[in-house]
Amino acid sequence: MNVEEQIKDILARITRVDKSIITRQSTFKEIKADSLDVVQALVAVEETFGIEIPDEDAQKFQNFGDFVSYVESRLPQKEKV
Amino acid sequence: MSLQGKLALVTGSGRGIGRAIALKLASQGADIVVDFFRHRESAEQTAKDIEALGVKAEVVRANVGDAAKIDELFDMIGNKFGRLDILINNAASGVGRPLADIDVKAWEWTMDINVRALLLCAQRAAKLMEGRGGKIVSISSLGSRFVLPNYTVVGVSKAALEALTRYLAIELAPRGICVNAVAASAVETEALKFYFKEGLVKDSRQVTPAGRMVVPEDVANVVAFLCSEEAFMIRGQIIIVDGGTSVGLLALAGKGAQ
Repeated sequence: MNVEEQIKDILARITRVDKSIITRQSTFKEIKADSLDVVQALVAVEETFGIEIPDEDAQKFQNFGDFVSYVESRLPQKEKV
Repeated sequence: MSLQGKLALVTGSGRGIGRAIALKLASQGADIVVDFFRHRESAEQTAKDIEALGVKAEVVRANVGDAAKIDELFDMIGNKFGRLDILINNAASGVGRPLADIDVKAWEWTMDINVRALLLCAQRAAKLMEGRGGKIVSISSLGSRFVLPNYTVVGVSKAALEALTRYLAIELAPRGICVNAVAASAVETEALKFYFKEGLVKDSRQVTPAGRMVVPEDVANVVAFLCSEEAFMIRGQIIIVDGGTSVGLLALAGKGAQ
């Protein structure tokens, strides 16, 4: 499973939305993720990928696509799919 | 300097009240373990400012809402320092919602970080304080005993924190460990900006008899006192730092405060 699908699964699990509604253009509001959901998603993504996402960076995410691109940019090259 | 050679862990000390406490204890000679969860840059800045005071700082990332992360944090302290003199249980989180909207997730998140962390940290800290005594001070808020809008889950967590403080104080007393808490009203921090946004607090200067808002240093000063030997006989107490807000409410109402 690629990075995007893994993050989608995490978000869908936390917000209990159907993952099919999540696109790269979706905002956290559209995914029905409140501020606690977002923090929990960040923590889950950090643990899944072994990276650290400071709030200073996370606050810049405008949509799901930004989140995915950020995580991809933080992974070692070989892990990208 | 009264805390020379002591080692203090301050949870959530990247910013706000925790940062002010870390700097205050450092200014009295204590080495500091700076714990953070979401703001590494701030934590590293706190550590730099601590080191500028001539003491050591160790930055560690640990979400105290996660029991495994608390274990890792204390394993590190045990391995690296083999002791702990002061635990400041400051890290806190919360969800600002009306009662009807508090779900299990919001409840557990808040309780785990604000209350369970004190239990788990105190258990581990007490072992590192064995034979040397120590101080445990938690940060509470007025919401533990007064009702603030949309503050239910945090207020309840702080009430539990205060109760736990009393129980810990008695159980740990024979080991020479002093356990207390400081309850503040709204303090001017980054977190407060969030609460303003969520509508949890209004401008509290109007209801503070002391004429200004509480600042992190006001809280840090009292915490530092509780960490001193002068406070040895204070056990299981909740010291309120609110510029008179809680005792002055009726007086202010009489004045027709907005």
